[in-house]
Amino acid sequence: MRLSITLRLALLFAATTAAVLLALGLFIGQLVDRHFEELDLAELTGKLELTRHALASVRREADLQALPVRLDDALVGHHSVSVAIETADGKRLYQSHHAVALPPALLANPGADTPAYALGWEHDGRRYRAVSALAPSGIPGQAPLLVAVVLDLEHHAGFTATFRTALWAAVATAILLASLLGWLIARRGLAPVRSIAGVARGISAERLHDRLAIEEVPAELIELVNAFNEMLSRLEDSFRRLSDFSSDIAHELRTPVSNLLTQTQVGLSKSRSSEEYREILASNSEELERLSRMIADMLFLAKADNQLIVPFREEVDLRAEIESLLEFYAVLAEEKSIRITCGGQVTLNGDRLMLRRAIGNVLSNAIRHTPDGGYIRIELRQTEGRGVLLSIENSGETIPAEHLPRLFDRFYRADPSRHREGEGTGLGLAITRSIVHAHDGEVSVSSTSGVTCFSIRWG
Amino acid sequence: MQNALTEEHAGEAMKILIVEDEPKTGDYLRQGLAEAGFVVDLARDGFDGMHLALTEAYDLILLDVMLPGVDGWQVLQAIRRAGKDIPVLFLTARDDVEDRVKGLELGADDYLVKPFAFAELLARVRTLLRRGSKAKEAETLTAADLELDLLRRRVTRGGKRIDLTAKEFGLLELLLRRQGEVLPRSLIASQVWDMNFDSDTNVIDVAVRRLRAKVDDDFEPKLIRTVRGMGYVLEVPEAA
Repeated sequence: MRLSITLRLALLFAATTAAVLLALGLFIGQLVDRHFEELDLAELTGKLELTRHALASVRREADLQALPVRLDDALVGHHSVSVAIETADGKRLYQSHHAVALPPALLANPGADTPAYALGWEHDGRRYRAVSALAPSGIPGQAPLLVAVVLDLEHHAGFTATFRTALWAAVATAILLASLLGWLIARRGLAPVRSIAGVARGISAERLHDRLAIEEVPAELIELVNAFNEMLSRLEDSFRRLSDFSSDIAHELRTPVSNLLTQTQVGLSKSRSSEEYREILASNSEELERLSRMIADMLFLAKADNQLIVPFREEVDLRAEIESLLEFYAVLAEEKSIRITCGGQVTLNGDRLMLRRAIGNVLSNAIRHTPDGGYIRIELRQTEGRGVLLSIENSGETIPAEHLPRLFDRFYRADPSRHREGEGTGLGLAITRSIVHAHDGEVSVSSTSGVTCFSIRWG
Repeated sequence: MQNALTEEHAGEAMKILIVEDEPKTGDYLRQGLAEAGFVVDLARDGFDGMHLALTEAYDLILLDVMLPGVDGWQVLQAIRRAGKDIPVLFLTARDDVEDRVKGLELGADDYLVKPFAFAELLARVRTLLRRGSKAKEAETLTAADLELDLLRRRVTRGGKRIDLTAKEFGLLELLLRRQGEVLPRSLIASQVWDMNFDSDTNVIDVAVRRLRAKVDDDFEPKLIRTVRGMGYVLEVPEAA
């Protein structure tokens, strides 16, 4: 079952207040009972004292005859108290007006002179409390008499009942009220969460720049809000790249498509020699091949973005791969009199064809940007553990620092005027990065004082 | 021209079945292959394709994977289950590894990912058809007065020795072995340099230009020809 946090908090709050209030109610009830008990005991002790006093003043048999009257007088107005006096052999000498059946336990076990507790019982739906004690009379030689004082609790039973009802009613109301208040407090306390939800609900692709205001958020939620904002930043970044990519695609496709269209339609506008038609078709074919290469590259990148590129793993001798690539690019390097050196020897666990493509793209890029008579220096190095570092360094114009981080972006050209020169699709280095990432590696580039260096790092 | 393979095979043209539902692609493939000298049948859905493949005798089948009704995989399976050992080249619009693996496991011989260059297709078709025929392994390849000695790895033209680098030799050997065929750059890169990715450089153009300088510049007739928009071909000009 799914409980909202508000309900959860309110229920917890209600449960705790209920427990506390119930305990408090029980405690107060007990206190009140104890209080009455003590009052009762004091009254009983008082009356016991009074009776003993009266008995002590009995000196003769005649005094004994007058005792009931004396005691009755003394007990006038104390309707709830009744006193009984018995001889040791069970003969009742005195019984006040309100006769009460005395439990045998009371008569059998007379207590101390000043009793510490009263015996309680119930009879005919009424509750009683009583003390008993042995009291010597003033008549010499007579055995001590048993005095029992009984208190009918009816007089304060009514009060206790009313008190209890009132107490539990108050407790119940308090619990209800506390629960309601708890719910309101929980709701109010969770208002920031709702406001976060509100902002989150308002965020769409067009409003990815919205952020949650951190200063209005309680301390407990700062971490959550920070995480949320960071997620938004990442999303915004990815989204921006994606939309840049889409518009780049549109832009990159527009030029060749518009060339194709113009050329084809101009070609069709009048009748030409077959030589001219052939020329047009050949040119179209070249343009289309470039387009199809671009589409294949973009698909590769799209798959890489979705982690759909799973490199086949085998031991790859990177030095051997580079040597093959150098053999392939040798004619280009010779044309430009570029000196290429290669040092080091390492193996790497990876997909041979993909790695070859990744390194090939960096190499062809280096050859393209190295001036005639320049140099390219390739170095392979084993780094700590199983790490591998490949650096490809070439002489040439220093690339301004602001371009460096974006060199691996799709269609990014440091120098816009070089656009379309050299047949590149503008995706080579982006593909390199994707392949290297799929192999858990990192690419980086630095460029200072006429030397540009691409580094690929694994492990 | 002992090694120049034409589509005339034992006096009879090679028969190719194309199974392709996209109307334009199908038409152009049929036209292109017919003009390259093949006899071509075109089936526009998997059902017809399967029927033709099982009832007629073909030398090669070009099979599109995405077909209405019966798809390319099923056609391929049916062909193999019928015990027919015809080479099958499948065409797929999806560059998925699984697709490739599936196709090759089901018994396809090669595949091409759309969009592909027609020259590339033609080259692959010829490779597959050649695989079947047992041409005698020649020791020398010749075209006009150009001679390439495979055993001694020597090239002469008009009796004059020409020095070639190892890769130039490999390039010339490929052009000679497949003379008369237009070879796309991607095929040359993969056959000679084992580069199977599309390089965005003009390595092949430069390499061919250098080879021409050695083989063609000082001689007549010119043997290596650029076919714009397609690739390179080595052939003896007919007028010569």
